[in-house]
Amino acid sequence: MISRLRGRGTAWAVLAAFSALVVAASLAPLARAQQTERAKRLGGRMMCMCGCNQILTACNHVGCTTSHTMLKELDDRIARGDSDEVILQSFIQDYGQTVLVDPPKTGFTGLVWVVPIVAPLLALWLLWELVRRWRQRAILTPAGGAPGIPSDLIDRARREADRDADE
Amino acid sequence: MDIFGSFALLLALGAAVYAFGAGIAGIVTRQPLLTKTARNAGMTVFGLVTLAVASLEYFFFTDNFSLAYVSAHSNHALPGFYKFAALWAGQEGSLLFWTWLLSIYAFWALFLNRKKHPELMPYVGVTLAGVQIFFLTLNNFVTNPFRVLGAADASGAMHVARLSDGSGLNPLLQYYEMVIHPPILYLGYTGFTVPFAFAMAALLGRYPGEKWIHITRRWTMVAWCFQTVGILLGAHWAYAVLGWGGYWAWDPVENAALLPWITGTAFLHSVMMQEKRGMMKVWNVWLVFVTFMLCILGTSLTRTGVVSSVHAFAESSIGGWFFTFLGIILLVCLAAWFKNRDYLRSDNQLDSLVSRESSFLFNNLILLAACFAVLWGTLFPVLSEAVTGAKISVGPPFFNKVNVPIALFLLFLTGVGPLLAWRKTSADALRRNFAWPLLGGVVAGAVAFAFGFREFYPLICLILSVFVTLTILAEFYRGARVIASRDSTNILTAIGELTMRNTRRYGGYVVHFGMVLIFIGISGSAFNRDIQKEMNIGDTISIGPYTILCQNFDQPSTDVYTSDRATLEVLRNNKSEMLLYPEHRVYLASQVPETEVAIESTPLRDLYVVYAGRSPETGRPVIHAYLNPLVKWIWFGGIVVVLGTGLALFPNRSAALVLRPASERAWGESVAPQTAPASSPIRRSEGHD
Repeated sequence: MISRLRGRGTAWAVLAAFSALVVAASLAPLARAQQTERAKRLGGRMMCMCGCNQILTACNHVGCTTSHTMLKELDDRIARGDSDEVILQSFIQDYGQTVLVDPPKTGFTGLVWVVPIVAPLLALWLLWELVRRWRQRAILTPAGGAPGIPSDLIDRARREADRDADE
Repeated sequence: MDIFGSFALLLALGAAVYAFGAGIAGIVTRQPLLTKTARNAGMTVFGLVTLAVASLEYFFFTDNFSLAYVSAHSNHALPGFYKFAALWAGQEGSLLFWTWLLSIYAFWALFLNRKKHPELMPYVGVTLAGVQIFFLTLNNFVTNPFRVLGAADASGAMHVARLSDGSGLNPLLQYYEMVIHPPILYLGYTGFTVPFAFAMAALLGRYPGEKWIHITRRWTMVAWCFQTVGILLGAHWAYAVLGWGGYWAWDPVENAALLPWITGTAFLHSVMMQEKRGMMKVWNVWLVFVTFMLCILGTSLTRTGVVSSVHAFAESSIGGWFFTFLGIILLVCLAAWFKNRDYLRSDNQLDSLVSRESSFLFNNLILLAACFAVLWGTLFPVLSEAVTGAKISVGPPFFNKVNVPIALFLLFLTGVGPLLAWRKTSADALRRNFAWPLLGGVVAGAVAFAFGFREFYPLICLILSVFVTLTILAEFYRGARVIASRDSTNILTAIGELTMRNTRRYGGYVVHFGMVLIFIGISGSAFNRDIQKEMNIGDTISIGPYTILCQNFDQPSTDVYTSDRATLEVLRNNKSEMLLYPEHRVYLASQVPETEVAIESTPLRDLYVVYAGRSPETGRPVIHAYLNPLVKWIWFGGIVVVLGTGLALFPNRSAALVLRPASERAWGESVAPQTAPASSPIRRSEGHD
């Protein structure tokens, strides 16, 4: 009887230890050490798809299992000898264009690259036009200056307003 | 007590509605009594919202888990420090907190100006009340933090339910910076409401001159400073807690905080053109409007789920409210501007392209370009999905490619701007002011190049940083030399005297120097290195000058969390330097895992070690080590920016004018920015910017 109880106790202890290991393993974070520089480089061109908005190789978003799966797939494909293009295309097929860090430079998404360059140039041109008009107007102003309040009085008024605001 | 808090919020909404309605009636009928009661109602909002906030904090500290918000963000074991911070840990509480900070600003703006600017203040009160009505409506009817948990009994009747314990605070928020980062950032966001209200008031009331700018200068600087500190604290939190090795990921929520900071920076510069020359009036009014709208947009981006972000609160249905509010603000701004645009005509025109005015114009253009690029990249995935139906990502490389050249050009202007005189800078002054700083920058670049420093952008950044630093030092030296020779004091005393005589100008230079330090720190990221390796006890990894030896792995646990921890010895030249203990914790109450990064920080580099987890194949711990150069410069630069802003907020020691004959050589023109006509018998040398 005692030995049976002992045996049952041992079984419970083994079961408890096993359960503890399973729980510990399930809570332990999963991580992969990138095997090659190529994997690092390619991983740097993709986003982690867990929604953390981070680059795949930079994501150690706590509890993220997506990056682990993606990195494993990347390592496997590199080990298989796939080219960069084939690897990226396979990820696009699995996750869509959103897996790429840089949006494609063609079609509508090309606008994301074009607009930040064109818009400041356009603004620069507008500024240039504005300055040109201002200078033209300044040239057309009579030599004695515009009629009205003398500039030293305006300056004095501004100084007084300054002082007023400082108080 | 929950009824008490809810009732205070409802009364606050009533007071805000009264302040708005009576304020408009007072403006229309010109009845002083109406205006006065509207102002008092506006100030009362602060007291009532304070009661609501105090009531919610009371629930946190008394562990009242019958409240849904308290049970979702606190538990018995949570330290009091974090119970206080749990107020802004979730959607409902953080919006209440937003309203409270806004009510503090509104109270002070109304109280400090209660006997001043009678033509302006009624409009200010109405604008502030309008914004408060929106947030109080959300607090009362959409995201009420005083909702109680209910449970149905056998008969189906609902009763208040009280949980035995709450879910606890998100472990990522259990970090001391998280207690101060959100309040400071919110103080930035909410603070821009005051300049917005004054700008709107000046426009609607056709208030003459630049007085609204003088009044709001300090308010704007305070809000800008809070925004700066909030952004930097957020970056530091991301660096120290999230464990991905960096401090800025161009995440939509980070970008949302950056956008109003950029336009606020542009505003702080462009107002000087209006103050000095009466120019850029339309521009300044719109800069304030846009800054405020970006603050609201930033607040909404974290809460509406429009863009995905690891920082965001849970998706909710309040997006419609925010975007409707933004639409209303835009319409009001457009209508106010259209109706009163004649009042915003410039007094002066630009005299020369080589002038302080043109440098401010370029500065504003570049800042706005940066703002647009960040906004465009942040919202483009939403636009693309709406147009093409396909989701895309716009990752950090886009933002870096677009913004790095823009930022470097801004750094260049930071050096150039202060050296140019108002109206026009002569070729001689250009040569005199630019030659040495430029030479210094080029020499620094050449030396760095000779020592193998070949990365293009960091090299340019180094050259420009040296250039800007030398221009700042030259500005201090030139001014101080004149004072030292006149007053027979030493140069350091003279620098102090010079600074206190024009705190705004020299405080601004200190801010510029802080930005230079931040730029240097950021440029260090081009040389970041990292290595990731599965390790056993006795294994080593080498990175830069360091060798990391794995001494032990253990699993320390407390009542709050369990942990996987590595003990790593850091060796340099085979000599033991320190022990690092990176950890991976799992918090028991919430079962949320968290990384505890080990960082050894020096001015030259940070050794940043993460316990990344265990390999699923081998079960061995994976250690990820980063070597991040110059990161400390960013935090130190932030401190310098704050000190500079604080200095600029000080009133000038004296407003004495220094008069001297015109024949005496000026302090390099830039010290005396108001260039007087050549025929003028005296030259006024007190600068103001």
